[in-house]
Amino acid sequence: MIEVRNVNQSYSKRSSKKTLTDVSMVVKENAITALVGANGAGKSTLLSVMTNILPALSGVVLLDGKDVRKMKANDLSKRVAFLRQSQQLNVRITVNDLVEYGRFPHCGGRLKDEDHQKVEEALSYMNLTDLRHRYLEELSGGQCQRAFIAMILAQDTPYIFLDEPLNNLDIKYSVEMMKILTQLVEELNKTIIVVLHDINFAAAYADHIVAMKDGEIYYEGPPQDAITPEVLNPVFDHDFHISNSAGRPVFLYYDEDDPNCEVCVS
Amino acid sequence: MVIVALFVIFALLSLFIGAYEDMTLQALLDGNERARLIFIHSRVPRTMAVILSAAGLSVAGLVMQAISRNKFMSPSTAGTTDAAALGLLISFVFLGEQSGAVQTIFSFAFALIGTFIFTLVISRLKIRETVYIPLLGMMYGGMISALSSVIAFHFEAVQFANMINLGSFARLGGFWGVYLVIVPLIIAVFFATKFSIIGLGEEFAKNLGVNYNRVVMTGLVVVSLISASTFVTIGPLPFIGLIIPNMATSFYGDNLKKSIYDLMLFGAVFVLICDIISRLVIFPFEMNVSLTISLVGGAIFMVYLIKGVFGDDERKAKA
Ligand SMILES: Nc1ncnc2c1ncn2[C@@H]1O[C@H](COP(=O)(O)OP(=O)(O)O)[C@@H](O)[C@H]1O
Ligand SMILES: [Mg+2]
Repeated sequence: MIEVRNVNQSYSKRSSKKTLTDVSMVVKENAITALVGANGAGKSTLLSVMTNILPALSGVVLLDGKDVRKMKANDLSKRVAFLRQSQQLNVRITVNDLVEYGRFPHCGGRLKDEDHQKVEEALSYMNLTDLRHRYLEELSGGQCQRAFIAMILAQDTPYIFLDEPLNNLDIKYSVEMMKILTQLVEELNKTIIVVLHDINFAAAYADHIVAMKDGEIYYEGPPQDAITPEVLNPVFDHDFHISNSAGRPVFLYYDEDDPNCEVCVS
Repeated sequence: MVIVALFVIFALLSLFIGAYEDMTLQALLDGNERARLIFIHSRVPRTMAVILSAAGLSVAGLVMQAISRNKFMSPSTAGTTDAAALGLLISFVFLGEQSGAVQTIFSFAFALIGTFIFTLVISRLKIRETVYIPLLGMMYGGMISALSSVIAFHFEAVQFANMINLGSFARLGGFWGVYLVIVPLIIAVFFATKFSIIGLGEEFAKNLGVNYNRVVMTGLVVVSLISASTFVTIGPLPFIGLIIPNMATSFYGDNLKKSIYDLMLFGAVFVLICDIISRLVIFPFEMNVSLTISLVGGAIFMVYLIKGVFGDDERKAKA
Protein backbone atom coordinates (compact mmCIF):
# COMPACT_ATOMS: atom_id res chain seq x y z
CA MET A 1 0.00 0.00 0.00
CA ILE A 2 1.23 3.48 -0.82
CA GLU A 3 0.07 6.30 1.35
CA VAL A 4 0.96 9.99 0.98
CA ARG A 5 0.66 12.05 4.13
CA ASN A 6 0.73 15.85 4.21
CA VAL A 7 3.42 16.19 1.60
CA ASN A 8 4.80 19.62 0.78
CA GLN A 9 7.29 20.27 -1.96
CA SER A 10 8.88 23.36 -3.42
CA TYR A 11 11.66 23.80 -5.96
CA SER A 12 13.02 27.05 -4.68
CA LYS A 13 13.63 27.28 -0.96
CA ARG A 14 13.32 31.05 -0.84
CA SER A 15 10.00 31.68 -2.53
CA SER A 16 6.89 30.90 -0.56
CA LYS A 17 5.21 29.39 -3.59
CA LYS A 18 4.87 25.68 -3.10
CA THR A 19 4.68 23.12 -5.88
CA LEU A 20 2.78 20.69 -3.68
CA THR A 21 0.70 21.88 -0.74
CA ASP A 22 -0.31 19.43 1.93
CA VAL A 23 -1.05 16.55 -0.41
CA SER A 24 -2.49 13.40 1.15
CA MET A 25 -3.84 10.36 -0.61
CA VAL A 26 -3.97 6.59 -0.48
CA VAL A 27 -3.20 4.82 -3.73
CA LYS A 28 -5.96 2.45 -4.75
CA GLU A 29 -4.56 -1.07 -4.93
CA ASN A 30 -4.90 -3.28 -8.00
CA ALA A 31 -6.36 -0.48 -10.01
CA ILE A 32 -5.50 2.19 -12.52
CA THR A 33 -5.47 5.65 -11.02
CA ALA A 34 -5.44 8.48 -13.52
CA LEU A 35 -3.81 11.69 -12.41
CA VAL A 36 -5.24 14.63 -14.33
CA GLY A 37 -4.75 18.37 -14.18
CA ALA A 38 -3.48 21.35 -16.13
CA ASN A 39 0.19 21.85 -17.02
CA GLY A 40 2.13 22.88 -13.98
CA ALA A 41 -0.46 21.53 -11.55
CA GLY A 42 2.24 19.41 -9.89
CA LYS A 43 1.45 15.96 -11.28
CA SER A 44 5.02 15.10 -12.25
CA THR A 45 6.30 16.49 -8.97
CA LEU A 46 3.85 14.33 -7.02
CA LEU A 47 5.00 11.21 -8.88
CA SER A 48 8.65 12.06 -8.20
CA VAL A 49 7.90 12.47 -4.52
CA MET A 50 5.91 9.25 -4.33
CA THR A 51 8.74 7.29 -5.98
CA ASN A 52 11.37 9.02 -3.84
CA ILE A 53 13.17 10.38 -6.91
CA LEU A 54 12.66 13.76 -5.28
CA PRO A 55 12.27 13.32 -1.52
CA ALA A 56 9.52 15.43 0.03
CA LEU A 57 10.40 18.59 1.95
CA SER A 58 7.88 17.70 4.61
CA GLY A 59 5.36 14.95 5.09
CA VAL A 60 5.91 11.28 4.35
CA VAL A 61 5.28 8.70 1.68
CA LEU A 62 4.69 5.27 3.13
CA LEU A 63 5.13 2.06 1.18
CA ASP A 64 3.58 -0.79 3.14
CA GLY A 65 3.97 1.33 6.23
CA LYS A 66 7.64 2.16 5.63
CA ASP A 67 8.92 5.64 4.88
CA VAL A 68 10.30 5.48 1.31
CA ARG A 69 13.14 7.81 2.28
CA LYS A 70 14.42 5.20 4.70
CA MET A 71 14.17 2.27 2.31
CA LYS A 72 17.19 0.84 0.52
CA ALA A 73 17.31 2.11 -3.05
CA ASN A 74 17.51 -1.42 -4.39
CA ASP A 75 14.52 -2.64 -2.37
CA LEU A 76 12.46 0.32 -3.49
CA SER A 77 13.37 -0.26 -7.14
CA LYS A 78 12.03 -3.80 -6.94
CA ARG A 79 8.67 -2.49 -5.69
CA VAL A 80 8.17 0.78 -7.55
CA ALA A 81 8.93 1.66 -11.17
CA PHE A 82 8.70 5.19 -12.52
CA LEU A 83 8.79 6.31 -16.10
CA ARG A 84 9.41 10.03 -16.29
CA GLN A 85 7.70 12.35 -18.68
CA SER A 86 10.42 12.71 -21.28
CA GLN A 87 13.43 10.56 -21.85
CA GLN A 88 17.02 11.57 -22.45
CA LEU A 89 18.38 10.00 -25.54
CA ASN A 90 21.98 10.86 -26.12
CA VAL A 91 23.29 7.35 -25.80
CA ARG A 92 23.45 4.72 -28.47
CA ILE A 93 21.79 1.63 -27.06
CA THR A 94 19.43 -0.93 -28.55
CA VAL A 95 15.86 -1.64 -27.48
CA ASN A 96 17.11 -4.91 -26.04
CA ASP A 97 19.85 -3.17 -24.00
CA LEU A 98 17.29 -0.78 -22.56
CA VAL A 99 14.81 -3.48 -21.59
CA GLU A 100 17.62 -5.47 -19.99
CA TYR A 101 18.47 -2.45 -17.82
CA GLY A 102 14.99 -2.90 -16.38
CA ARG A 103 16.23 -6.11 -14.79
CA PHE A 104 19.04 -4.30 -12.98
CA PRO A 105 17.29 -4.16 -9.57
CA HIS A 106 16.88 -7.92 -9.65
CA CYS A 107 20.16 -9.12 -11.10
CA GLY A 108 22.60 -6.20 -10.98
CA GLY A 109 23.36 -6.41 -14.68
CA ARG A 110 24.11 -10.14 -14.75
CA LEU A 111 21.00 -11.61 -16.33
CA LYS A 112 19.90 -15.11 -15.46
CA ASP A 113 17.31 -17.28 -17.25
CA GLU A 114 14.47 -15.72 -15.32
CA ASP A 115 15.64 -12.24 -16.26
CA HIS A 116 15.91 -13.12 -19.94
CA GLN A 117 12.41 -14.51 -19.80
CA LYS A 118 11.05 -11.28 -18.29
CA VAL A 119 12.82 -9.31 -21.03
CA GLU A 120 11.19 -11.50 -23.70
CA GLU A 121 7.77 -11.06 -22.10
CA ALA A 122 8.14 -7.30 -21.85
CA LEU A 123 9.27 -7.04 -25.47
CA SER A 124 6.38 -9.08 -26.78
CA TYR A 125 3.88 -7.24 -24.56
CA MET A 126 4.95 -4.00 -26.20
CA ASN A 127 5.15 -5.57 -29.65
CA LEU A 128 8.86 -4.81 -29.95
CA THR A 129 10.35 -8.21 -30.59
CA ASP A 130 11.12 -7.37 -34.22
CA LEU A 131 12.73 -4.07 -33.28
CA ARG A 132 14.81 -5.37 -30.41
CA HIS A 133 18.19 -4.97 -32.10
CA ARG A 134 17.49 -1.48 -33.43
CA TYR A 135 19.19 1.48 -31.78
CA LEU A 136 16.78 3.79 -29.95
CA GLU A 137 17.98 6.79 -31.96
CA GLU A 138 16.77 5.02 -35.11
CA LEU A 139 13.20 4.62 -33.81
CA SER A 140 10.17 6.88 -34.07
CA GLY A 141 9.06 8.75 -30.95
CA GLY A 142 6.26 6.29 -30.35
CA GLN A 143 8.43 3.21 -30.79
CA CYS A 144 10.92 4.70 -28.42
CA GLN A 145 8.23 5.40 -25.83
CA ARG A 146 7.12 1.77 -26.09
CA ALA A 147 10.70 0.63 -25.53
CA PHE A 148 10.88 2.63 -22.30
CA ILE A 149 7.56 1.19 -21.16
CA ALA A 150 8.84 -2.30 -21.95
CA MET A 151 11.79 -1.54 -19.67
CA ILE A 152 9.38 -0.59 -16.89
CA LEU A 153 7.49 -3.83 -17.45
CA ALA A 154 10.72 -5.82 -17.26
CA GLN A 155 11.42 -4.15 -13.94
CA ASP A 156 8.42 -6.20 -12.80
CA THR A 157 7.31 -4.13 -9.83
CA PRO A 158 3.90 -4.28 -8.12
CA TYR A 159 3.62 -0.48 -8.40
CA ILE A 160 4.01 1.29 -11.72
CA PHE A 161 4.07 5.07 -12.13
CA LEU A 162 3.83 6.44 -15.65
CA ASP A 163 4.10 10.14 -16.41
CA GLU A 164 2.23 10.84 -19.63
CA PRO A 165 2.99 7.49 -21.27
CA LEU A 166 0.71 8.26 -24.20
CA ASN A 167 3.04 11.07 -25.31
CA ASN A 168 4.20 10.26 -28.80
CA LEU A 169 1.86 7.31 -29.20
CA ASP A 170 -0.60 7.27 -32.08
CA ILE A 171 -4.24 6.44 -31.47
CA LYS A 172 -3.84 2.74 -32.09
CA TYR A 173 -0.95 2.42 -29.67
CA SER A 174 -2.59 4.70 -27.11
CA VAL A 175 -5.60 2.41 -26.98
CA GLU A 176 -3.34 -0.62 -26.93
CA MET A 177 -1.28 0.90 -24.16
CA MET A 178 -4.36 1.49 -22.00
CA LYS A 179 -5.52 -2.06 -22.67
CA ILE A 180 -2.13 -3.37 -21.61
CA LEU A 181 -2.37 -1.38 -18.39
CA THR A 182 -5.83 -2.85 -17.75
CA GLN A 183 -4.42 -6.30 -18.43
CA LEU A 184 -1.52 -5.71 -16.04
CA VAL A 185 -3.98 -4.85 -13.30
CA GLU A 186 -6.30 -7.76 -14.01
CA GLU A 187 -3.79 -10.49 -14.73
CA LEU A 188 -0.78 -9.51 -12.68
CA ASN A 189 -2.44 -7.53 -9.89
CA LYS A 190 -0.38 -4.43 -10.53
CA THR A 191 -1.19 -1.04 -9.12
CA ILE A 192 -0.80 1.70 -11.70
CA ILE A 193 -0.75 5.45 -11.44
CA VAL A 194 -0.73 7.22 -14.73
CA VAL A 195 -0.75 10.86 -15.74
CA LEU A 196 -3.16 11.29 -18.63
CA HIS A 197 -3.98 14.36 -20.64
CA ASP A 198 -6.85 12.88 -22.57
CA ILE A 199 -9.87 12.94 -20.28
CA ASN A 200 -11.69 10.46 -22.47
CA PHE A 201 -8.95 7.91 -21.96
CA ALA A 202 -9.13 8.50 -18.24
CA ALA A 203 -12.91 8.07 -18.30
CA ALA A 204 -12.71 4.89 -20.32
CA TYR A 205 -9.87 3.06 -18.60
CA ALA A 206 -9.20 4.41 -15.12
CA ASP A 207 -10.76 2.98 -11.99
CA HIS A 208 -10.03 6.06 -9.99
CA ILE A 209 -9.35 9.69 -10.80
CA VAL A 210 -7.20 12.17 -8.93
CA ALA A 211 -7.58 15.71 -10.22
CA MET A 212 -4.88 18.21 -9.27
CA LYS A 213 -4.96 21.97 -9.36
CA ASP A 214 -2.22 24.36 -8.25
CA GLY A 215 -0.31 21.79 -6.25
CA GLU A 216 -3.31 20.44 -4.40
CA ILE A 217 -5.63 17.52 -4.88
CA TYR A 218 -8.81 19.20 -6.03
CA TYR A 219 -11.00 16.14 -6.31
CA GLU A 220 -10.60 12.41 -5.95
CA GLY A 221 -13.16 9.76 -6.81
CA PRO A 222 -14.47 7.22 -9.28
CA PRO A 223 -14.66 8.28 -12.93
CA GLN A 224 -18.42 8.69 -12.99
CA ASP A 225 -18.16 11.36 -10.28
CA ALA A 226 -14.87 12.92 -11.30
CA ILE A 227 -15.28 13.13 -15.04
CA THR A 228 -17.93 15.80 -14.92
CA PRO A 229 -17.89 19.43 -15.94
CA GLU A 230 -18.41 20.43 -12.29
CA VAL A 231 -15.04 18.94 -11.38
CA LEU A 232 -13.07 19.33 -14.56
CA ASN A 233 -14.02 22.82 -15.66
CA PRO A 234 -12.30 24.44 -12.67
CA VAL A 235 -9.41 21.95 -12.77
CA PHE A 236 -8.55 22.79 -16.34
CA ASP A 237 -9.98 26.31 -16.32
CA HIS A 238 -11.83 25.45 -19.49
CA ASP A 239 -15.45 24.93 -20.53
CA PHE A 240 -15.97 21.37 -21.58
CA HIS A 241 -18.91 20.15 -23.61
CA ILE A 242 -20.20 16.71 -23.21
CA SER A 243 -21.68 14.44 -25.78
CA ASN A 244 -23.01 10.95 -25.33
CA SER A 245 -21.84 7.97 -27.20
CA ALA A 246 -23.40 4.60 -26.43
CA GLY A 247 -24.40 5.82 -23.00
CA ARG A 248 -20.94 7.07 -22.11
CA PRO A 249 -20.05 10.71 -21.70
CA VAL A 250 -17.55 11.96 -24.23
CA PHE A 251 -15.75 15.21 -23.55
CA LEU A 252 -15.44 17.64 -26.35
CA TYR A 253 -12.46 19.91 -25.92
CA TYR A 254 -13.04 22.48 -28.61
CA ASP A 255 -15.20 25.52 -28.55
CA GLU A 256 -18.94 25.25 -29.08
CA ASP A 257 -18.82 28.18 -31.49
CA ASP A 258 -16.61 26.11 -33.72
CA PRO A 259 -18.84 25.38 -36.74
CA ASN A 260 -17.49 21.85 -37.02
CA CYS A 261 -18.64 21.19 -33.53
CA GLU A 262 -22.32 21.19 -34.28
CA VAL A 263 -21.95 18.11 -36.38
CA CYS A 264 -20.92 16.02 -33.43
CA VAL A 265 -22.87 17.54 -30.56
CA SER A 266 -26.19 15.81 -30.44
CA MET B 1 35.90 -10.25 -34.98
CA VAL B 2 37.43 -7.90 -37.53
CA ILE B 3 38.76 -5.84 -34.66
CA VAL B 4 40.43 -8.87 -33.06
CA ALA B 5 42.15 -9.71 -36.35
CA LEU B 6 43.32 -6.11 -36.80
CA PHE B 7 44.52 -6.05 -33.25
CA VAL B 8 46.64 -9.19 -33.70
CA ILE B 9 48.11 -7.94 -36.97
CA PHE B 10 49.11 -4.52 -35.63
CA ALA B 11 50.35 -5.88 -32.31
CA LEU B 12 52.67 -8.22 -34.22
CA LEU B 13 53.79 -5.44 -36.55
CA SER B 14 54.51 -3.26 -33.53
CA LEU B 15 56.65 -6.01 -32.03
CA PHE B 16 58.75 -6.43 -35.15
CA ILE B 17 59.33 -2.85 -36.25
CA GLY B 18 62.28 -0.99 -34.87
CA ALA B 19 65.76 0.33 -35.37
CA TYR B 20 67.51 -3.00 -34.82
CA GLU B 21 67.14 -4.71 -38.14
CA ASP B 22 68.49 -8.00 -36.87
CA MET B 23 65.48 -8.29 -34.52
CA THR B 24 63.38 -10.54 -36.74
CA LEU B 25 61.12 -13.50 -36.11
CA GLN B 26 63.77 -15.66 -37.74
CA ALA B 27 66.45 -14.40 -35.35
CA LEU B 28 64.19 -15.04 -32.38
CA LEU B 29 63.44 -18.58 -33.50
CA ASP B 30 67.15 -19.20 -34.10
CA GLY B 31 67.79 -18.35 -30.48
CA ASN B 32 69.77 -15.17 -31.18
CA GLU B 33 70.57 -13.79 -27.72
CA ARG B 34 70.72 -10.13 -28.73
CA ALA B 35 67.40 -10.41 -30.56
CA ARG B 36 65.85 -12.07 -27.53
CA LEU B 37 67.01 -9.32 -25.18
CA ILE B 38 65.73 -6.55 -27.41
CA PHE B 39 62.45 -8.39 -27.78
CA ILE B 40 61.92 -8.93 -24.03
CA HIS B 41 63.28 -5.63 -22.74
CA SER B 42 62.27 -3.23 -25.44
CA ARG B 43 59.66 -4.43 -27.88
CA VAL B 44 57.30 -6.30 -25.58
CA PRO B 45 57.10 -3.60 -22.89
CA ARG B 46 56.60 -0.96 -25.52
CA THR B 47 53.81 -2.79 -27.29
CA MET B 48 52.18 -3.58 -23.95
CA ALA B 49 52.40 0.08 -22.98
CA VAL B 50 50.75 1.11 -26.22
CA ILE B 51 47.95 -1.43 -25.82
CA LEU B 52 47.26 -0.76 -22.14
CA SER B 53 47.38 3.00 -22.30
CA ALA B 54 45.20 3.11 -25.40
CA ALA B 55 42.67 0.66 -24.00
CA GLY B 56 42.67 2.52 -20.71
CA LEU B 57 42.17 5.98 -22.16
CA SER B 58 39.41 4.75 -24.46
CA VAL B 59 37.50 3.35 -21.51
CA ALA B 60 38.25 6.46 -19.45
CA GLY B 61 36.76 8.59 -22.23
CA LEU B 62 33.57 6.57 -22.45
CA VAL B 63 33.12 6.55 -18.67
CA MET B 64 33.63 10.31 -18.62
CA GLN B 65 31.05 10.70 -21.38
CA ALA B 66 28.54 8.59 -19.48
CA ILE B 67 29.07 10.56 -16.27
CA SER B 68 28.62 13.91 -17.96
CA ARG B 69 26.14 12.72 -20.60
CA ASN B 70 28.25 14.57 -23.10
CA LYS B 71 29.94 12.98 -26.09
CA PHE B 72 32.72 15.59 -26.08
CA MET B 73 34.03 14.89 -22.62
CA SER B 74 37.29 13.05 -22.08
CA PRO B 75 40.36 13.27 -19.85
CA SER B 76 41.91 15.80 -22.23
CA THR B 77 38.80 18.02 -22.39
CA ALA B 78 37.99 18.11 -18.68
CA GLY B 79 41.30 19.20 -17.23
CA THR B 80 42.15 15.66 -16.08
CA THR B 81 45.35 15.34 -18.06
CA ASP B 82 46.54 18.82 -17.15
CA ALA B 83 45.83 18.20 -13.49
CA ALA B 84 47.74 14.91 -13.68
CA ALA B 85 50.69 16.84 -15.13
CA LEU B 86 50.45 19.42 -12.36
CA GLY B 87 50.52 16.66 -9.74
CA LEU B 88 53.58 15.11 -11.29
CA LEU B 89 55.33 18.48 -11.42
CA ILE B 90 54.45 19.24 -7.78
CA SER B 91 55.91 15.92 -6.67
CA PHE B 92 59.12 16.75 -8.57
CA VAL B 93 59.35 20.30 -7.25
CA PHE B 94 58.80 19.43 -3.61
CA LEU B 95 60.15 15.91 -3.33
CA GLY B 96 62.64 15.74 -6.20
CA GLU B 97 63.12 12.66 -8.38
CA GLN B 98 60.72 10.08 -7.03
CA SER B 99 59.75 6.55 -7.83
CA GLY B 100 56.96 6.00 -10.34
CA ALA B 101 54.67 4.97 -7.50
CA VAL B 102 54.96 8.30 -5.66
CA GLN B 103 54.62 10.22 -8.91
CA THR B 104 51.51 8.26 -9.83
CA ILE B 105 49.91 8.92 -6.45
CA PHE B 106 50.46 12.67 -6.80
CA SER B 107 49.26 12.63 -10.36
CA PHE B 108 46.19 10.60 -9.43
CA ALA B 109 45.23 12.85 -6.51
CA PHE B 110 45.49 16.00 -8.64
CA ALA B 111 43.67 14.41 -11.58
CA LEU B 112 40.83 13.31 -9.31
CA ILE B 113 40.41 16.69 -7.65
CA GLY B 114 40.75 18.58 -10.94
CA THR B 115 38.19 16.44 -12.72
CA PHE B 116 35.84 16.47 -9.75
CA ILE B 117 35.79 20.25 -9.67
CA PHE B 118 35.12 20.51 -13.38
CA THR B 119 32.35 17.90 -13.28
CA LEU B 120 30.73 19.68 -10.35
CA VAL B 121 30.89 23.06 -12.04
CA ILE B 122 29.40 21.94 -15.34
CA SER B 123 26.62 20.02 -13.61
CA ARG B 124 25.67 23.28 -11.86
CA LEU B 125 25.95 25.44 -14.95
CA LYS B 126 23.31 23.47 -16.90
CA ILE B 127 24.75 24.43 -20.27
CA ARG B 128 22.45 23.11 -22.96
CA GLU B 129 24.86 23.30 -25.87
CA THR B 130 27.02 20.26 -25.30
CA VAL B 131 29.72 21.47 -27.71
CA TYR B 132 30.69 24.31 -25.40
CA ILE B 133 31.54 22.02 -22.53
CA PRO B 134 34.75 20.57 -24.01
CA LEU B 135 35.76 24.09 -25.01
CA LEU B 136 35.26 25.23 -21.42
CA GLY B 137 37.14 22.12 -20.32
CA MET B 138 40.06 22.99 -22.56
CA MET B 139 40.16 26.50 -21.14
CA TYR B 140 40.08 25.03 -17.66
CA GLY B 141 42.90 22.64 -18.64
CA GLY B 142 44.77 25.60 -20.11
CA MET B 143 44.51 27.42 -16.80
CA ILE B 144 45.85 24.43 -14.92
CA SER B 145 48.76 24.06 -17.28
CA ALA B 146 49.48 27.80 -17.07
CA LEU B 147 49.68 27.34 -13.32
CA SER B 148 52.07 24.46 -13.93
CA SER B 149 54.24 26.71 -16.09
CA VAL B 150 54.38 29.37 -13.38
CA ILE B 151 55.38 26.78 -10.81
CA ALA B 152 57.94 25.30 -13.17
CA PHE B 153 59.51 28.74 -13.80
CA HIS B 154 59.51 29.64 -10.16
CA PHE B 155 61.20 26.42 -9.07
CA GLU B 156 63.44 26.16 -12.13
CA ALA B 157 61.86 22.93 -13.28
CA VAL B 158 61.06 24.03 -16.82
CA GLN B 159 63.06 21.24 -18.38
CA PHE B 160 61.20 18.63 -16.35
CA ALA B 161 57.87 20.25 -17.23
CA ASN B 162 58.69 20.18 -20.92
CA MET B 163 59.81 16.60 -20.75
CA ILE B 164 56.69 15.26 -19.08
CA ASN B 165 54.43 17.02 -21.51
CA LEU B 166 55.65 15.05 -24.50
CA GLY B 167 54.09 11.63 -24.79
CA SER B 168 56.47 8.90 -25.79
CA PHE B 169 56.58 5.15 -25.86
CA ALA B 170 60.34 5.34 -26.12
CA ARG B 171 60.84 6.12 -22.43
CA LEU B 172 62.40 2.80 -21.68
CA GLY B 173 62.61 1.18 -18.30
CA GLY B 174 59.72 2.83 -16.56
CA PHE B 175 56.88 1.05 -18.21
CA TRP B 176 55.77 -0.96 -15.20
CA GLY B 177 53.47 1.89 -14.19
CA VAL B 178 51.23 1.35 -17.15
CA TYR B 179 50.30 -2.08 -15.83
CA LEU B 180 48.49 -0.17 -13.10
CA VAL B 181 45.89 0.64 -15.76
CA ILE B 182 44.67 -2.94 -15.42
CA VAL B 183 43.18 -2.16 -11.99
CA PRO B 184 40.75 0.58 -13.11
CA LEU B 185 39.98 -1.43 -16.23
CA ILE B 186 38.82 -4.33 -14.07
CA ILE B 187 36.72 -1.93 -11.98
CA ALA B 188 35.23 -0.58 -15.21
CA VAL B 189 34.29 -4.09 -16.34
CA PHE B 190 32.50 -4.70 -13.06
CA PHE B 191 30.74 -1.33 -13.13
CA ALA B 192 29.99 -1.43 -16.86
CA THR B 193 26.20 -1.69 -16.55
CA LYS B 194 26.08 0.97 -13.84
CA PHE B 195 28.12 3.40 -15.94
CA SER B 196 25.79 2.85 -18.88
CA ILE B 197 22.73 3.36 -16.69
CA ILE B 198 23.92 6.67 -15.26
CA GLY B 199 24.51 7.73 -18.87
CA LEU B 200 20.72 7.76 -19.20
CA GLY B 201 20.30 10.35 -16.47
CA GLU B 202 20.09 10.68 -12.73
CA GLU B 203 16.36 10.01 -12.43
CA PHE B 204 16.61 7.01 -14.72
CA ALA B 205 19.38 5.60 -12.56
CA LYS B 206 17.54 6.28 -9.34
CA ASN B 207 14.47 4.47 -10.62
CA LEU B 208 16.62 1.38 -11.07
CA GLY B 209 18.01 1.68 -7.57
CA VAL B 210 21.47 2.73 -8.75
CA ASN B 211 23.32 4.96 -6.29
CA TYR B 212 24.01 7.78 -8.71
CA ASN B 213 26.59 9.71 -6.69
CA ARG B 214 28.58 6.64 -5.77
CA VAL B 215 28.75 5.47 -9.37
CA VAL B 216 29.83 8.93 -10.52
CA MET B 217 32.61 8.96 -7.89
CA THR B 218 33.73 5.48 -8.92
CA GLY B 219 33.81 6.67 -12.50
CA LEU B 220 35.93 9.69 -11.60
CA VAL B 221 38.37 7.44 -9.72
CA VAL B 222 38.60 5.09 -12.71
CA VAL B 223 39.19 7.98 -15.11
CA SER B 224 41.78 9.63 -12.85
CA LEU B 225 43.69 6.43 -12.17
CA ILE B 226 43.91 5.63 -15.85
CA SER B 227 44.92 9.18 -16.76
CA ALA B 228 47.53 9.39 -14.00
CA SER B 229 49.21 6.06 -14.65
CA THR B 230 49.38 6.59 -18.41
CA PHE B 231 50.54 10.17 -17.93
CA VAL B 232 53.36 9.29 -15.57
CA THR B 233 54.71 6.46 -17.68
CA ILE B 234 54.02 7.68 -21.20
CA GLY B 235 52.87 11.27 -21.10
CA PRO B 236 49.83 12.85 -22.69
CA LEU B 237 48.14 10.92 -25.48
CA PRO B 238 45.76 13.67 -26.59
CA PHE B 239 42.33 13.01 -28.07
CA ILE B 240 42.37 9.24 -27.53
CA GLY B 241 39.76 9.38 -24.79
CA LEU B 242 37.62 11.59 -26.97
CA ILE B 243 37.71 10.20 -30.48
CA ILE B 244 37.99 6.47 -29.78
CA PRO B 245 34.72 6.21 -27.82
CA ASN B 246 32.97 8.36 -30.42
CA MET B 247 34.20 6.23 -33.30
CA ALA B 248 33.75 2.94 -31.48
CA THR B 249 30.17 3.57 -30.33
CA SER B 250 28.98 4.01 -33.88
CA PHE B 251 29.97 0.35 -34.39
CA TYR B 252 29.41 -1.17 -30.99
CA GLY B 253 26.91 1.10 -29.24
CA ASP B 254 27.07 2.60 -25.76
CA ASN B 255 26.09 -0.44 -23.74
CA LEU B 256 29.46 -0.70 -22.02
CA LYS B 257 28.93 -4.22 -20.74
CA LYS B 258 28.61 -5.44 -24.31
CA SER B 259 31.14 -3.17 -25.93
CA ILE B 260 33.93 -2.66 -23.41
CA TYR B 261 36.34 -5.23 -24.89
CA ASP B 262 35.72 -4.07 -28.45
CA LEU B 263 36.27 -0.52 -27.30
CA MET B 264 39.61 -1.43 -25.74
CA LEU B 265 40.74 -3.27 -28.87
CA PHE B 266 39.59 -0.41 -31.08
CA GLY B 267 41.62 2.08 -29.07
CA ALA B 268 44.62 -0.23 -29.04
CA VAL B 269 44.55 -0.66 -32.82
CA PHE B 270 44.34 3.11 -33.33
CA VAL B 271 47.32 3.89 -31.11
CA LEU B 272 49.31 0.91 -32.44
CA ILE B 273 48.88 2.37 -35.93
CA CYS B 274 49.88 5.87 -34.75
CA ASP B 275 52.90 4.42 -32.96
CA ILE B 276 53.98 2.43 -36.01
CA ILE B 277 53.64 5.54 -38.18
CA SER B 278 55.75 7.52 -35.68
CA ARG B 279 58.48 4.91 -35.91
CA LEU B 280 58.46 4.67 -39.70
CA VAL B 281 58.27 8.26 -41.02
CA ILE B 282 61.83 9.25 -40.13
CA PHE B 283 63.20 5.73 -39.78
CA PRO B 284 65.54 4.77 -38.12
CA PHE B 285 64.70 7.70 -35.82
CA GLU B 286 61.27 8.09 -34.40
CA MET B 287 58.79 10.86 -34.17
CA ASN B 288 57.09 11.68 -30.92
CA VAL B 289 53.90 9.65 -30.73
CA SER B 290 51.83 12.45 -29.22
CA LEU B 291 52.59 14.49 -32.33
CA THR B 292 51.23 11.77 -34.60
CA ILE B 293 48.18 11.32 -32.40
CA SER B 294 47.60 15.06 -32.27
CA LEU B 295 47.72 15.29 -36.05
CA VAL B 296 45.49 12.32 -36.80
CA GLY B 297 43.29 12.65 -33.71
CA GLY B 298 42.97 16.42 -33.93
CA ALA B 299 41.69 16.13 -37.50
CA ILE B 300 39.10 13.54 -36.46
CA PHE B 301 38.10 15.63 -33.43
CA MET B 302 37.53 18.65 -35.67
CA VAL B 303 35.21 16.59 -37.85
CA TYR B 304 33.20 15.58 -34.78
CA LEU B 305 33.17 19.11 -33.41
CA ILE B 306 31.96 20.54 -36.72
CA LYS B 307 29.35 17.80 -36.95
CA GLY B 308 28.34 18.64 -33.38
CA VAL B 309 27.96 22.36 -34.12
CA PHE B 310 26.06 21.88 -37.36
CA GLY B 311 24.20 18.84 -36.09
CA ASP B 312 22.78 20.97 -33.28
CA ASP B 313 21.72 23.57 -35.81
CA GLU B 314 19.93 20.97 -37.89
CA ARG B 315 18.12 19.67 -34.84
CA LYS B 316 17.09 23.19 -33.92
CA ALA B 317 15.85 23.81 -37.43
CA LYS B 318 13.71 20.69 -37.23
CA ALA B 319 12.19 21.60 -33.90
N1 LIG C 1 13.03 21.11 -11.85
C1 LIG C 1 12.22 22.15 -11.54
N2 LIG C 1 12.75 23.30 -11.08
C2 LIG C 1 11.94 24.34 -10.77
N3 LIG C 1 10.61 24.34 -10.91
C3 LIG C 1 10.02 23.23 -11.36
C4 LIG C 1 10.80 22.07 -11.72
N4 LIG C 1 9.96 21.12 -12.15
C5 LIG C 1 8.73 21.63 -12.07
N5 LIG C 1 8.76 22.89 -11.60
C6 LIG C 1 7.59 23.76 -11.37
O1 LIG C 1 6.72 23.09 -10.49
C7 LIG C 1 5.38 23.24 -10.92
C8 LIG C 1 4.75 21.88 -11.13
O2 LIG C 1 5.40 21.22 -12.19
P1 LIG C 1 5.07 19.73 -12.64
O3 LIG C 1 5.03 18.88 -11.44
O4 LIG C 1 6.02 19.37 -13.70
O5 LIG C 1 3.60 19.90 -13.24
P2 LIG C 1 2.79 18.96 -14.22
O6 LIG C 1 3.50 17.67 -14.35
O7 LIG C 1 1.47 18.84 -13.56
O8 LIG C 1 2.68 19.68 -15.52
C9 LIG C 1 5.41 24.10 -12.16
O9 LIG C 1 5.09 25.41 -11.79
C10 LIG C 1 6.82 24.01 -12.64
O10 LIG C 1 7.19 25.19 -13.27
MG1 LIG D 1 4.30 16.73 -15.94
